[in-house]
Amino acid sequence: MYQYIIRRFLIFIPMLIALSIIVFGLAKAAPGDPFSGKILDPEVGMEVYEKQRAELGLDKPVPVQYVRWASKIAQGSFGESITYKGRSVESLIKERFLNTVYLGLFALFITLIVALPIGIYSARRPYSLIDYGTTTFGFFGLAVPNFFFGLVVIYLFSIKLGWFPAQGTISSTKLTGIAEFKDRIHHLVLPGLTLGLASTASYMRYMRSEVMDVLGSDFIRTAKAKGMSANNVLYKHTLRNAMIPIITLLGMELGPLLGGAIITEQVFNFPGIGTLFIGSVINRDYPVVMAITLLLGVAILVGNLLADIFYSVVDPRIRYD
Amino acid sequence: MQTLNEQDINADGHVNGSMRKHRSPFQLSLRRFLKNKLAIVGMIVFFIIVASAVFAPLLTEHDPKAHNLLKVEQKPSSEHILGTDSSGRDNFARLLYGARVSLTIGISTMVFTVFLGLVFGTLSGYYGGKVDSIIMRITDLFLALPFLVLALTIIALLKKVTVGLFVVIIAVTSWPTLSRIIRGTFLSLREQEFVLGARVIGASDFRIIFRHFLPNAIGPIIVNATLLMAAMIIVESGLSFIGMGIPQPTPTWGNMISEAQGLRILRYHPEAWIPPGLAILLTVLSINFIGDGLRDAFDPKSDRR
Amino acid sequence: MLKQLPHRFALLLVVLMVGIVLAACNNDGDAEPADATEAKPEDVTKTEPAEEDATEEAGPKKGGTIVGAMYSAPTGMFNPIFYEEAYESNILDFTHEGLVTQNEKLEFVASLAEKWETNEDQTEITFFLREGVKWHDGEDFTAEDVVYTYQAMSDPDYEMAGGVRVNYVAPLLGYEAYQSGETDEFAGVVADGDYKVTFKFTEPNVSPLYYASFPIIPKHVFKDIAVKDITEAAESKEPGKVIGTGPFKFADMIEREQYILERNEDYWQGAPLLDSVVWKVIAQSVMIGLLEKGEIDFVASPGGIAPADHDIVADFGNINIIEQADFGYQLMGFKLNHRTTADVDSGAVTPENWIPNKKLSDPKVRQAIAHAVNRQGLVGTGHGEGLLHGRGQPINSPIAQQMWAYDESAATNYEYDVDKAGKLLDELGYKDVTGDGFREDPEGKEWILNLDYPTGNELRERSAPIIQSDLEKAGIKVNLRQPAEMSVYVPGLTNDNTDWDLYLIGWSLSSTDPDPSGLWATRAGYNFSRWNNPKSEELMQKAVKAPEAFDQDYRKQVYAEWQKLYSEDLPALLLYAQNSLWAYNDRIQGIKILPSTMYQDSHEWWIEE
Repeated sequence: MYQYIIRRFLIFIPMLIALSIIVFGLAKAAPGDPFSGKILDPEVGMEVYEKQRAELGLDKPVPVQYVRWASKIAQGSFGESITYKGRSVESLIKERFLNTVYLGLFALFITLIVALPIGIYSARRPYSLIDYGTTTFGFFGLAVPNFFFGLVVIYLFSIKLGWFPAQGTISSTKLTGIAEFKDRIHHLVLPGLTLGLASTASYMRYMRSEVMDVLGSDFIRTAKAKGMSANNVLYKHTLRNAMIPIITLLGMELGPLLGGAIITEQVFNFPGIGTLFIGSVINRDYPVVMAITLLLGVAILVGNLLADIFYSVVDPRIRYD
Repeated sequence: MQTLNEQDINADGHVNGSMRKHRSPFQLSLRRFLKNKLAIVGMIVFFIIVASAVFAPLLTEHDPKAHNLLKVEQKPSSEHILGTDSSGRDNFARLLYGARVSLTIGISTMVFTVFLGLVFGTLSGYYGGKVDSIIMRITDLFLALPFLVLALTIIALLKKVTVGLFVVIIAVTSWPTLSRIIRGTFLSLREQEFVLGARVIGASDFRIIFRHFLPNAIGPIIVNATLLMAAMIIVESGLSFIGMGIPQPTPTWGNMISEAQGLRILRYHPEAWIPPGLAILLTVLSINFIGDGLRDAFDPKSDRR
Repeated sequence: MLKQLPHRFALLLVVLMVGIVLAACNNDGDAEPADATEAKPEDVTKTEPAEEDATEEAGPKKGGTIVGAMYSAPTGMFNPIFYEEAYESNILDFTHEGLVTQNEKLEFVASLAEKWETNEDQTEITFFLREGVKWHDGEDFTAEDVVYTYQAMSDPDYEMAGGVRVNYVAPLLGYEAYQSGETDEFAGVVADGDYKVTFKFTEPNVSPLYYASFPIIPKHVFKDIAVKDITEAAESKEPGKVIGTGPFKFADMIEREQYILERNEDYWQGAPLLDSVVWKVIAQSVMIGLLEKGEIDFVASPGGIAPADHDIVADFGNINIIEQADFGYQLMGFKLNHRTTADVDSGAVTPENWIPNKKLSDPKVRQAIAHAVNRQGLVGTGHGEGLLHGRGQPINSPIAQQMWAYDESAATNYEYDVDKAGKLLDELGYKDVTGDGFREDPEGKEWILNLDYPTGNELRERSAPIIQSDLEKAGIKVNLRQPAEMSVYVPGLTNDNTDWDLYLIGWSLSSTDPDPSGLWATRAGYNFSRWNNPKSEELMQKAVKAPEAFDQDYRKQVYAEWQKLYSEDLPALLLYAQNSLWAYNDRIQGIKILPSTMYQDSHEWWIEE
C-alpha cells in the first residue's frame, strides 16, 4: 500500500511535465499573444508592443520559450503576469485562490447535505411520488444553465427580496472576526447555490442508483434474511458500498467545479480562480495560465490518488500491486 | 445488449427466473421495459421532440436564420407565436430548428463519450495492474487538462466550428469521468466469487467482460449516460455564454437561452427563454425516464422485476 | 406506513436543515446591514457637524457617498503613465490631473496650469503653473513633477516595463537621444523655477496642448524608484500610496470588487462635497436591477447602459439618462491589398510590395457593396428596431462627429438600395452566369467574399450574419467565418498574407485632435485595409504642416477634402456610431456633462436627499 502511494507520487513528476508541455503547446498553437488583443487604441501605435514582445522573448521559438518558463518554475517562481503589470503570478493566484476554495467548499457542502439524504431516500422508496418529485427537481437543476440560474436567484433573492447581496465576496474592508465571517457566508449563499445546483442533481442520481444497486445485491438479501433491521442493513452495508463511485466522483470534482466556477464567478462578479483563468486564457497571459493549469493538475492528481486510497479502505478486497 | 439474447442464466448468480424459463432474458427485459409506464411516457415525449425537429419545416414557415430588423425583441403575436429575438428572428422557428442541433450535440456526444469511457474503463478495470496504471494516468492527464484551453486553441486554429467538431472536443475531454466510474465498479467485481468461478471454468476474457461485468455495471452507465446527455446540451449553452459556442446565426437551444444574459430578457421577455429551457428540461427528463426504464429492465441487480 | 415514517422524517430534517442554513444567513444580513452603501454609520457621524454648518435651504450639501458601477475590474495599475485600460482610468480620472483639460467644446482649458504661451514658430510652449496645489500627501505640486512625468515616459526602460504612452513624448525635443540612452540630459520638458515649465518640440507642433495634457505624477514619490521598477512599486498599485492632485484620494479597495475614493480636503478647487465615491465592479447582466434598487448610483463609460435597456431604465423614473454621440464607430473594412508572406514574416509594412486584392480593388465594387448594406436597419429608429434600438446613427466620415473637422456634407452617404447595388454590379460585369443566385466576377469565375469578425462586442457579433444576408440579397456570396477573440483576430488582420476580404472592427477615436493619419496613413499599423492612395497621404500631411496648419479653418478645409476622398475611395464602409448612454440616480446633483466624460469637476457633485 505505502509502496503504491509512493509510486503514485513519483509518477506525478513526469505527468506534470507532460501536462505542462501539452498545455504550453496548446496555448502557443493558438494564434495571438498577450499583446495582440490589446491594440485598437488609436492613441497607442501597434509598434509599441514589439519591444515588449522581444523583452518577454515571445519572438523566440516555442521550445526556447518553454525551457525559459520551466526553468523559472524549477527555481520556484511562476514569473510575472503580463496582463497584470508588475504582479507576480503567485500573488495573483493567492489573492483569488481562497475565494474559489470557499465557494467550492460551500457548493460541495450544499450538494452533499441535499443530495445524499435525498438520494438514499429515493433509493429506499423508488417509484414513489417523492422519488419522482426529486428526480424531476434534480433534472431541473441539470437542465438550467449555470449563468441563467445565477441570474434568476440574483433577481429573486437579491433584487426583489433583498435577502442576499448580488455581487462580490464581502461588503467592506472594515469588517473583522465573526462579522467578517458572517458577511462572507452571506455573500457565498447565492453563488454557492448556483454552483452547487448541477452537481446536486448528479449526486442525487448517483446516490439513488448506487444504493438501489447495493440494496439489490446478494449480501444485503443475506443480511435481511438473517434478520438484520432495515436501518442496520442500510448503514452497515449499503452506504459503505454505495460510497465507492461517489468517492470517485468527488476525486474528479475539481475540474468541473472550476469549469462551473468560471461561469458562476462571472455572473456574481466573484473574484476567484475561474475568472482569472478564463481572462488569462483569452488574454494569452501564459504565465498565469500555466501556473493555474499546473496547480489544478496537482490538485486533480492528488484528489484521484486519495480516491484510490479510499477505495481500498472502503473495499478491502481491492488490492494494488 | 445482444449478449443477453441467449439462453444463459444471468451472470450475477441469483437465479430467479425459474417460473419464466421459456422466455429469453431479452424478451423478459423488453416486457419489463414495456410495463414501465414512465419509460413509455418518456419515449413518447422524446419521440415528439425528435419529430418536431425533423419536421420543423412543416411546423413553421419562418426561416430560423432570417432576421427582420424592424421587429426586434417582439412580444408573441399571431405571426411570431413566441416573439422574435435580438436580431428579429422568429423564436419558434429557432426552437424547432435548434432542436436539431442540440439533439445532435446531446446524443452524439453521449454516444461517443460512453463508447470511449466504456473501452478504457473496461480495459482498466478488468485487467488491472499495468494496463490500469497506464490508462488511469492518461485519464488523470485528461482530467487535469483544462477543457477551455483545448477548446479555445482548436477554435482559434479553425476557420469554422462545426457541430461535429464540437462533439469531438467535448467527448474527448469528458470520457475520463465515465471510464473511472466503470473501472471502479469493475475493480470490485474482479474480486467477487462468481467471477472467480467463471475463470475457473475457463471462460474467456471477452465472455467474462460481456456476460458478467458489463451487465453489472449497466446501472451506473445508464445513469451516467443520461446525465451526460443533459450536461452536454448545457455545456453548449455555457460555452455560448462565454462566447465559444456554436456561432450565430445557427440556432441551438443553448445559444437561445444564452440570449437571456441580462435582467431585461429575464424579466420582460420570458417567451425568449422559457421555451428553450422547457425543451431542454423535457428532453433531459424523457431521456432519463427511458434510461431508468432500461436500467430496471436490463440490470440484473435491479430490484424492480 | 409506520416503516416509512422515519425516512419521511429524515427528508423533512434535511429540508429543515437547509432552510435553517438559509434563514441563518438571512438573519445575519438583517442584523448587520453590511452593504457598502449602508455600512458607513461612522462616516455619517463624522460629517454631521459639517452638515449643520451648511445652510438649511436647498443647494449643495456636504456629505454622502455615491456608488458607481463598472463591468470589469481594473488590472490594478493605478499609475497614469503605465495604465492601459479604461477601467483604471475610472479611478485615475478622480485622482490625477494634467496641466490642461478639455471643456464641452473640446477646447483645452486651464487645470494645473493657469495659462500658457507659445513661441513664434510653435516649437515651444511655456506653462505657468497654479500655485498652492498640493499632492494628496501634502507636498507641493511643482514644475519638477511635470518634468519628471515626461522624463519617465521617455526613459530607455519605459517601454520594456510595459509603458505604451510614447506618442505623448515622441515629438519632444531630444526624445530619440534620451530614449536610446545616448544622453541622460532630458531636453523635451524644462522647468524654470517651481511654477514655470516649457515643452520643446523637434518640429513646429500643431496641437501642443494635447501633448501637454497627460496626467502628472509626483516626483517626490517616484524619484528613488527606477522606471523599470515602477510597475512593481506599491506607489503604483496600493490605496493610500497612489498619490495625485485630484479631488479624491484613492483610499481603500477590495481588489476586483470595490475601489473607494475619499474626499481630498485640500483640493485646490475647494474640498469636494461628497465624502466618497465608491466604484463597484458588477456583472453587466444584473446592472439594471441594481440601478433600479439604488445599489448603484451611476454607470457611464466604458459601457454605460445597453441600447435595448434604454427604455426600461428610463421608466424607472429616478434615473437620468445622458445620451450623446460616442467617439467610436464600427466599420466593415475592405482588404484592398494583401501583404506578402515575406513582409509578414519580417514585420515590414512596405506598400510597394503589396498585392492588390482583385476581388475588391475596384472602388465601384466597394460602393456597390456599400449600397447593399442596410446600415440604417442595423441602427433602427426606435425601441424594438435594429441592433441599436435607434440609439446611434449611420456615419459616413471617419472623423469623430463632435470634432470641428467633421464635415458630413463632404462625405458621400451610401443609401441602402439593393437595386442600385445590383445595377452597379451588373454594369461592372458581376453577373450571375451560373444561375445559382450569386454573382460571378466579370471573368465568370466564382466571386465569394470572406467576412471575418471578432468577438467581444455583442452588437457587432450580431451584425455579421445580418450583413451577410444583406449582401446575399444583392447576389454577393459571402462566406461568414468563425468569429475569433481579439487576440486571435488582430494577428489575422495584421498578418494579411491570407484570404481576408471583409472585416469588422471598431474603435474609439481621440477627443483631442482629428488627425486621422494614425488609422489611415498608408503605413499605419491600423490601416488594415492596406489603403494606398497618394492623394489621401498628401492631404493628411498637408493638414498638419506648419505654418498653414496653425489656422484651424485651413485644416478644416483640408480635412473636408480628405473626407470626400475617403468616402469615394471607400477603404472601409463605416457602419454606425453608437450613442453613449450614461445613467445616474437623480439624487446626485452637480454633474457636468462633457462630450467625452462626466467625471470632470466631481468636487462639485452633491446628494439631494
